[in-house]
Amino acid sequence: MNEHPNDYIKPELMACCGAREIMDGDVVVVGTGFPTMSANIAKHTHAPRAVLLQESGVYDARPRRPALSVGDACLNPGAAMIGGLVDVMGMFLQGGWVDVGFLSGSQVDRFGNINTTCIGSYDQPKSRLPGSGGANPIGALAKRGLIIVQHDPRRLPARLDFITTPGYIDGPGAREKLNMPPETGPSIIVTNKAVLRFDPDTKEAFVASYHPGHTIDEIRRSTGWNIQVADDVHETEPPRVEELSALRNILDPHRMIKIYEGKGYV
Amino acid sequence: MNKVTTMQKAVAENIHDGNFVYIGGYICRTPFSAVHELIRQGKKDLTITRSNAADDFDMLIGAGVVKRFISTFISLGVYGLARCYRRSLEKGIPHIIEVEEYTNLSLPMMLMAGAMGMPFIPVKDLLGTDLMKIKGFLGESKYKLIDSPFDGKPVLIVPALNPDVGIIHVQQADENGNAQIWGIGGDCKYGANASKKVIVSCERIVSREMIGKDPSRTIVPDFKVVAVVEEPFASHPGYTPGFYDQDFGFGYLYKEASSTEEGFHAFLKEWVHDVPDRAAYIQHFIDRFGYAAYKKLQAKFDYGYPVSYEY
Repeated sequence: MNEHPNDYIKPELMACCGAREIMDGDVVVVGTGFPTMSANIAKHTHAPRAVLLQESGVYDARPRRPALSVGDACLNPGAAMIGGLVDVMGMFLQGGWVDVGFLSGSQVDRFGNINTTCIGSYDQPKSRLPGSGGANPIGALAKRGLIIVQHDPRRLPARLDFITTPGYIDGPGAREKLNMPPETGPSIIVTNKAVLRFDPDTKEAFVASYHPGHTIDEIRRSTGWNIQVADDVHETEPPRVEELSALRNILDPHRMIKIYEGKGYV
Repeated sequence: MNKVTTMQKAVAENIHDGNFVYIGGYICRTPFSAVHELIRQGKKDLTITRSNAADDFDMLIGAGVVKRFISTFISLGVYGLARCYRRSLEKGIPHIIEVEEYTNLSLPMMLMAGAMGMPFIPVKDLLGTDLMKIKGFLGESKYKLIDSPFDGKPVLIVPALNPDVGIIHVQQADENGNAQIWGIGGDCKYGANASKKVIVSCERIVSREMIGKDPSRTIVPDFKVVAVVEEPFASHPGYTPGFYDQDFGFGYLYKEASSTEEGFHAFLKEWVHDVPDRAAYIQHFIDRFGYAAYKKLQAKFDYGYPVSYEY
């Protein structure tokens, strides 16, 4: 029986939900923040042989402080290999070696497509966002995409203002028609209210579990489309003692993760 | 041939209005002193490119140097959206730049194709997204979706890029331009080699003999290089592995300043226009923040095992 301390904050729960998706031996492309925390929780608990790549060119970094970007200086000393974008994104991701890729965005739709380009129209944007970076190729080529997003109707709308990163595009068969690599695509959306998974037939995201303190009704109201709910929907397992211990004692002793509470992950 | 010169001369003699310029870096080894020199000399109508652009590109856009940007991404990292970039595209300040958007897979591959003299290269990204629908100044040449001549299946090809000039900052180079790096590479090696000529700034100039002690670190051979500038601390507020760390405090200062048009121009005046070169920039940094702040950024040393190439 797992122990579950009840003093966790929501971003810690979300990081643990991400960690549980990583299997031992997985090759994981990470960004900063949640992805790095999730991947490292997994490494310190059930997946010690998982390995991390940063798109900037780094394999198996051994940072002595939390990296604040994928190009952070702390990723250099101690890494097993350092090359560049063509090495990591070209040889390893495009070459088909990446199992898990983390993604986030300003908007995510029911098929797991992601917008990080603009709010409003492309030509006259209300808000111009950074663009794809590595997200589009990670969404296209990682075997399992792990998406992290805040749960509200603006961020989970019926329709995106712009599709930057492919999920299942417009539904079943779309990726296959474009000759995208088989057995790739998003596998989970972790929000601050729920865990969503994708129906293998419709390719639509559905509610797999709700976080403690949230209800199905609230999740439906917070989703921009008529979201389906799993027959076996259940409460999300809270962080386990060993997950929290890895996070707080080893990975994030200064609890920088609290920044995400300020960003609305509550 | 000894190509050692000043940044002022390297930029004045080699970069012309309207040029297509590759600017290397990935926070790691950002050639910031060259970026400031482009602004100081009031260059115009440049097309600029690199994967994962940051504060240096934002500054060039805000200063009005840029006409076109072949982009994958631009932000201020932990400090959020790029303010000058947003003002350009949302409000036309100082003018709307033209953007052509790719990704951190396709753009590095396009530079690699350029470096290798190939006309185009197949990539496996972009498909199924709105990045296929929007076409900027490259128009129909942004990409082609063809049937593979080998198996008939759809394959996406994107054009090779050959910038007029590449600008990179490296740890060390010799006087002829053999340039050596270590640490995070980004798209630096291919961006530089895709370019018709290369400006190299470096933390230190070393002898040709020293280059020969570890030649596997050389990413650009001297025959591609037109200027070598010894420019310590040139990446600040970015970092150079083994020399100095990223300056997060200065990043915050730029974020705050660039949040308004007035603040941005005051920043340019203080850190670009009112300092004639990098040496003056360092002096100003020390005057403003104290020597201890400068010293604190300097890297510790942890030399590895020396390698031997002997037979």
